[in-house]
Amino acid sequence: MITVQTVTDAAAAIRTSGLSKRYRRVRALSECTITVPEGRISALIGPNGAGKTTLLRLLAGLTRPTAGEVTVNGGTPRQDPAFLAGIGYLAQEIPLYRRLSAEDHIRAGAHLNPHWDGESVRERLTALTIPLDRAVGTLSGGQHAQVALALTLAKRPRLLLLDEPVAALDPLARRNFLAILADAVAAGGLTVVMSSHLVADLERVCDHIVMLAASRVQLCGDIEGLLAEHRLLVGPRKDISAIERDHQVVQVTLTPRQTTLLVRLNGPVIDPAFEAGDVSLEDLVLAYMGQDIPSAQAPLSSIGEN
Amino acid sequence: MTWLVWRLHRTQLYIAAALLAAFTVLMLVTGLQMASQYHSAVIACTASHSCANLGSTLFLGSHAVGFLVIMTLGVPALFGLFWGGPLVAAEFETGTGQFAWMQSITRKRWLAVTIGWTLLAAAAWGGAVSGLVTWWSGPDNALQLDRFKPGRFDIMGIVPVGYALFAVALGVCAGALLRRTMPALAVTLGGFIVVRSVVALWLRPHYMSAVTVTHTLLSGYTPTGSSWQLAQGILNPAGQLLPNPNGAAIDGIPIGFLPSACAATGNGAAGPTPACRQALDAFHAFVTYQPASRYWAFQGIETGIFVALAAALVAVTAVVVLRRDA
Repeated sequence: MITVQTVTDAAAAIRTSGLSKRYRRVRALSECTITVPEGRISALIGPNGAGKTTLLRLLAGLTRPTAGEVTVNGGTPRQDPAFLAGIGYLAQEIPLYRRLSAEDHIRAGAHLNPHWDGESVRERLTALTIPLDRAVGTLSGGQHAQVALALTLAKRPRLLLLDEPVAALDPLARRNFLAILADAVAAGGLTVVMSSHLVADLERVCDHIVMLAASRVQLCGDIEGLLAEHRLLVGPRKDISAIERDHQVVQVTLTPRQTTLLVRLNGPVIDPAFEAGDVSLEDLVLAYMGQDIPSAQAPLSSIGEN
Repeated sequence: MTWLVWRLHRTQLYIAAALLAAFTVLMLVTGLQMASQYHSAVIACTASHSCANLGSTLFLGSHAVGFLVIMTLGVPALFGLFWGGPLVAAEFETGTGQFAWMQSITRKRWLAVTIGWTLLAAAAWGGAVSGLVTWWSGPDNALQLDRFKPGRFDIMGIVPVGYALFAVALGVCAGALLRRTMPALAVTLGGFIVVRSVVALWLRPHYMSAVTVTHTLLSGYTPTGSSWQLAQGILNPAGQLLPNPNGAAIDGIPIGFLPSACAATGNGAAGPTPACRQALDAFHAFVTYQPASRYWAFQGIETGIFVALAAALVAVTAVVVLRRDA
């Protein structure tokens, strides 16, 4: 038993159990229990205010949990150079010293990190024709983000935590960056958790998903497995209590003549009136986002704008 | 870490160095002039045996430079505002702390190196300004014997170094607690003025119990050297303090408080009668003061107070930055 536990721990880049964070009266994260295996690119999805940033900050050790446990790279987040060296975190605000140049940041990184790869930053930024010697505060938003992303990668962490990293990038730069990320993970030794509202982008590179809504985990697991477990059932308008008894109905869409159900299967669907179809990641995400939230339309529209 | 501190603050350091260099030149040029002016005045007065009132007849230097020297009272506050206040507050406000604290360096080390260099710079600059002012004021101090005077005590010797450390620590601590630069600067300025005033006005006179000398009305008594006179007055035979003469008085005693033997004595040219003179002998004058020899003890005590306050503020900063969520 103990051996099994050790093996699973070693294979998990992130493991949390009952992780919660409260800010005075606000519940930012409740009872979050997730596992992200090593070597995955995990998509952290959820409506605005769902607790994505809080979760990432808890994993990075910038915030302390009010309850629950968190294990990252085999240890509790703490103020220790070895632990910090294993984590790359890029906040949503993309914080860089505005008056310093990219080159200054590269040199600072060299002074502050054991496995620093400053040359890779210079190469990438040169390829992107981003000046190394100009104050980063004078760069465009996209260039600023590119500098920050390159610096975060240069740390060569084992776990990369990115809070909406591609929001500031144009579509081409976005695809480019995601390709670099996928290459880095394929080279081994790297796990990525990135939050984003751009499901299409995430679908391209991510093989794992953590979904939050209203401060709770709605879904966590391998995307392939989750897609296989879910089906879109389309049939006539009729009583669905039999299906609800056998399977977990995530979302019900009713039109005057038709019933569309997104269900998590617990076995084969026997009702011949329903035709089963595959679900896309977007279907899945939208269905789960609508759950447990009083006004289901609000989060849907916020996702829809992207 | 030191490299990052240097890179982030080097512009401010260059500016501070340039200002200090300009101040040094000004102090050296005017200070040497004042020293030679004083020197020749002493030679002249010694020849004419008139050195006793040199303090009231000789004015050294210029008003403008003298004003600038008094303004160095505010130098520690500048360190608090420019170096201390933004140090931690700006990292929170702009989010750059999330860059610095996610490198492979603990927040503790970041804080120690950042605060350490800033305090060192403040002590160095504060010490340099104070050293120049102390040297520059040498002839004036010899002339006026007032280096204990509030306002002069505070810009010379070692106390400015204590003030500088305190101001920076106050700024850093306010920034760590408030996490926003402008409010931190307001608290730094207000806090610095309040603490400095409280210490200077209410604590400083009591570092050591003052010396009180009682003397007869006619003999008079003046403490030697740059002493700090805290109180003086006249006591009646019953030991009660008389109010300050606010009109007609004899030997400093208001008419209304004169003994009955002096009732006949008015403002006439005759002066006190022998009986009145005898009755006045029962009155005494006193002077309460801190002797000049205690100057460095007072400097040391006051510096110690501000260094201790700075240390406490740094400790609070460390707890706040390390314990609270970043």
